[in-house]
Amino acid sequence: MAEGKLCNRNMINTEEELRTLLADTSGKQYYSEMMDLDVDRDKLKATLDKTLKSRLKTWLEICAHCGLCADSCFIYLANNKDPKQVPSYKIQSTLGQIVKKKGNVDNAFMRMTMDTAWAKCTCCNRCGMYCPFGIDMGVMFGYLRGLCFSQGFVPWEMKIGSGMHRVYRAQMDISTEDWVDTCEWMAEEYEEDYVGLKIPVDKKNANTIYTVNAREPKHYPEDIGEAAALFHIAGEDWTVPSEGWEETSLAMFAGDWEACKLQVQSVYDAIDRLKPKRMVVTECGHAYRATVIEGPYWTGQKSGKPPVESLHYVEWVAEALRTGKLKIDPAKKIKEPVTYQDSCNYIRNAGLGDTAREIMSYIAEDFREMTPCREHNFCCGGGGGLNGIGRYREERNIGLKIKRDQILATGAKLVISPCHNCWDAIRDLEEVYHIGIRWRFLKPILLSMVIIPDHLKPEE
Amino acid sequence: MFEKILFTTTGTPTCDHAAHVAFDLAKKYKSKIYVFHVFGRPTRSFSTLVTDSRTGEESNFDQDYVSWVEEELKNTYANQIKEVPECEIKTLVGVPHTEVLRFARKNDIDLIVMGAHSRQEEPGATRYRAVVGSTMQQVAKRARCPVLVVSRPCTTCLWYFSNIIFGTDFSKASHSAFLFAYKLAKEIGSKLWLFHALDLTSRGGTTLEQKEIEQEIEKAKKRIETEYVSKMKGYDNYEIEVWEGTPFVEVLKYSREKNGDLIVMSHHTREIDLEKALLGSTVEQVVLRASCPVASVNHPDKV
Repeated sequence: MAEGKLCNRNMINTEEELRTLLADTSGKQYYSEMMDLDVDRDKLKATLDKTLKSRLKTWLEICAHCGLCADSCFIYLANNKDPKQVPSYKIQSTLGQIVKKKGNVDNAFMRMTMDTAWAKCTCCNRCGMYCPFGIDMGVMFGYLRGLCFSQGFVPWEMKIGSGMHRVYRAQMDISTEDWVDTCEWMAEEYEEDYVGLKIPVDKKNANTIYTVNAREPKHYPEDIGEAAALFHIAGEDWTVPSEGWEETSLAMFAGDWEACKLQVQSVYDAIDRLKPKRMVVTECGHAYRATVIEGPYWTGQKSGKPPVESLHYVEWVAEALRTGKLKIDPAKKIKEPVTYQDSCNYIRNAGLGDTAREIMSYIAEDFREMTPCREHNFCCGGGGGLNGIGRYREERNIGLKIKRDQILATGAKLVISPCHNCWDAIRDLEEVYHIGIRWRFLKPILLSMVIIPDHLKPEE
Repeated sequence: MFEKILFTTTGTPTCDHAAHVAFDLAKKYKSKIYVFHVFGRPTRSFSTLVTDSRTGEESNFDQDYVSWVEEELKNTYANQIKEVPECEIKTLVGVPHTEVLRFARKNDIDLIVMGAHSRQEEPGATRYRAVVGSTMQQVAKRARCPVLVVSRPCTTCLWYFSNIIFGTDFSKASHSAFLFAYKLAKEIGSKLWLFHALDLTSRGGTTLEQKEIEQEIEKAKKRIETEYVSKMKGYDNYEIEVWEGTPFVEVLKYSREKNGDLIVMSHHTREIDLEKALLGSTVEQVVLRASCPVASVNHPDKV
């Protein structure tokens, strides 16, 4: 059965395999090999038999093709209501067909399925809220991605991403040493401005364990310094693990179920090792979904919950503001109109809409809601891994129009976006459409207005 | 004096003046020089698609591209490389200021030399200012070693510097800047001008009477005596001056009057918002407008 050197059904498990794949600029060879990649039909059927359970079967069966999901999909709206972008059509014409044909599909079909699963759905799960039967196409696309992945039909960057998790237990090539070194570096820098600040690594029995997104140590280490400053000001007893610090999961976007489990297990192992009372995860949406919401199921936690109580960063911030651990200087609140990007993964899918509003009530004087908002909000346009896939750049940019128009309608020029993925999409949106907006995480905003107790201020 | 010099460059003519100074320094002090270039920031987490620092366009990089860029840098600085004892070329992808700071920390760098935007009419100046300007801002503020920013042709070289202007606001960081200025002046044998500008802009609407201003000036002069002059054992080639006004304007005026060929200052704004900090800080304004190189020193580690 034909498989390529780079594009195949094998998993990436070594650094060398990862380097080889990365060396293939833009996945040129990878995608050309994909043209000849055979579908392992027996394997596909076996996977279906084993993993397609009653919920998805029922959903595929009972879909009445009523089209009520159409207007819920931002990609459908952004593409002039192209009928081929109706969620039910997208899933019926792909997963529906695979199931109907019991896996007897060919290469061209699988390539079409891949393009649909990654470029026409960001797994934002908005359609599920509007379907009269509660059919969630986002969930089904997540499942479909797993089928595609197991057959080797997966976008180049996603294969790399899941490989990164397998090799480094992080979405980027960051070793334990790199990570600990970055923490030390940031502690050195921020200690100057906040007396006594430390970034405790591997401290046992701390109240809070803090886990991050690999982009922070890699490209935005200030984010870790800012988190440390805020924990320090709030008097939090906290720590970061030397291993198991990465909460994101490109494996989830890739459909690499095995790597999903490996990654989350590394975080849970850290919790087991350090015995914190609770976990706080950084300003990232899908990471929260992976580590806090889905992770317990991937790793077989009987409670359906992570080993300790786990908070998204916005929950920690809201709590700190509510209890007065962080106090805002009223004179420094945001005066200009400001809006908030509701991340699908922790607002729609984890119900933290009120938490976000609570924070805004403390920090902003002129808060403008997007329309629609909260759990009805549209995806930023780059969710589900779409931001990261070169092959679907154009499709992604078309989808960004919806967010652009939503932001413009608020009149705000500042967008608070406590999710790495949304933050990126909004940055790209500005670079593509030039609408003159700024985008921020919560941490720098909070640090610019929080009251610093005198004993934490450096002497001059 | 400087064992390891980190010269950060975009590889464009805008950095030629900085290159000139960096290589001259390395030659003079027999330093190892690193020519450091960050292509651009990655557009995606790990993909090979990057936004080019210079053009703002998206491009792909791979091993061939890396080799090509390194070769280009080698050719650009070929004549200068011959003159220094050791030169290493280093290129990578990332957020420029993060990578410059990370590299300087890891390799125990003694001096960073950077170029800066000088003329608005240069093609791509706006973008250059946005990217390099903010990189300069972050690096100057956070590096543990002195950062020398060169934006205009430096006709003299560092060992010809005859007039070093040290501008102080009496902060802790300024003390480190002083130590550097003094060490350099002693090493080169140049005149050290100790200068403070009484800030009349940040007094919240109250205006000082002429008499009060004069009193404050006297106070500041005394402070320079006790805080700095007392540390300069036996070194008498210096002068003290205090003027009043808007700090960056006064520093520039003073430097001009004294034919300053190097300004040494600290750069420790606490502003977190880059956009505000970028235009607001005295050092940024001085860098933009000074006709000589500006050294920003904020930490005692390397002075």
